[in-house]
Amino acid sequence: MVMTNQDGNNGYALTTVDQLIAWAESGSLWPVSFGLACCAVEMMHSAGPRLDTDRFGVFYRPSPRQSDVMIVAGTLCNKMAPALRQIYDLMPERKYVISMGSCANGGGYYHYSYSVVRGCDRIIPVDIYVPGCPPTAEALVYGIIQLKEKIKGNYHFDRHSS
Amino acid sequence: MSKHYPHHHADLEQIISQQCPFKPTKLTVSTDLTYQIHASNTLALLQWLKESMTCQFNQLIDITAVDYLHYGESEWKTDNANTGYSRATTALKASSHPTEPDTRFVVVYQLLSTVYNWRIRIHALLNKNPPETSSITTLWPNANWLERETYDMFGIVFHQHPDLRRILTDYGFKGYPFRKDFPLIGRTEMRYDAREKRVVYQPVTIENRVSVGKTIRDDSRYTHSKGSPEQ
Repeated sequence: MVMTNQDGNNGYALTTVDQLIAWAESGSLWPVSFGLACCAVEMMHSAGPRLDTDRFGVFYRPSPRQSDVMIVAGTLCNKMAPALRQIYDLMPERKYVISMGSCANGGGYYHYSYSVVRGCDRIIPVDIYVPGCPPTAEALVYGIIQLKEKIKGNYHFDRHSS
Repeated sequence: MSKHYPHHHADLEQIISQQCPFKPTKLTVSTDLTYQIHASNTLALLQWLKESMTCQFNQLIDITAVDYLHYGESEWKTDNANTGYSRATTALKASSHPTEPDTRFVVVYQLLSTVYNWRIRIHALLNKNPPETSSITTLWPNANWLERETYDMFGIVFHQHPDLRRILTDYGFKGYPFRKDFPLIGRTEMRYDAREKRVVYQPVTIENRVSVGKTIRDDSRYTHSKGSPEQ
């Protein structure tokens, strides 16, 4: 978007570069493949031919070094938590986290368990929470679209048109 | 098949009562054939069941354990055992409680004879302190991990085990989660410490919660069982 200053001339590039970066970034969100439980199956469905998150530029990467976003799909156990944090730390900066499903959001079914982390936001900062047990693949795609809007700075958007 | 094999569990019962030198006690806990024996005789009994030509229990299906610490006590009360939750409060007590009242742990072995299509369950009564028995990895190699799991969850020590380490819980885990005196929420929980830049354990911050049925259903599904004499 081109900004117009008070003189009526065309504005300066700073805001536009930010938006350009946000546009580029939100158009190529590469998640690190990190499936932990049944949510991972729904995550695979979202990447499959029916919903096809490839069309949003969402390609699953086998390495955290190549990833922009981490989808925590499933129950995070105590034993896995240090590994999750390490993978998050290995991702290059400007990274985002989608917490998928009840278990990742707050422990869910295993909230009162001795061996499960009560929400992955105790380990890593989370941008988008997708509710459900497990969330449908459509719900995850909706969460990905919301993350795109968040990166672009659109905090209010119409659920019917986006 | 021209060769005749005895296929009924009644035959197995007869074989054990007549031929087995260890005289295990038969339990009427379920339709599966279940025998009880003291842990000091378990290895010999299992070896006999495996190697005796009349049984040939060549597969070990599972090893687990039971903690009878609070057996017969209930954490909640409901109207009737068939409308809500019961925790082995009445019906099973007479038949399946260990014959020695001091016994706290029972190690359970599930065996399969692929030759005769028989299954059998062995309850091994353990001494209270320390709970220990001998490993059966020499008989079935898959007992290795099964005994590690039982050790991890119940703290039962298996002597002569080649590598008795925890198998499921976190590295450095304290306590035995399947023991009845272990709190369900555990004693520690995890969080990321931004100053230390690592994941740390801290004492647990939530209250334990006993699962109580908040509603006792009294609809048509249960009218025949509630208040009416048992059929």
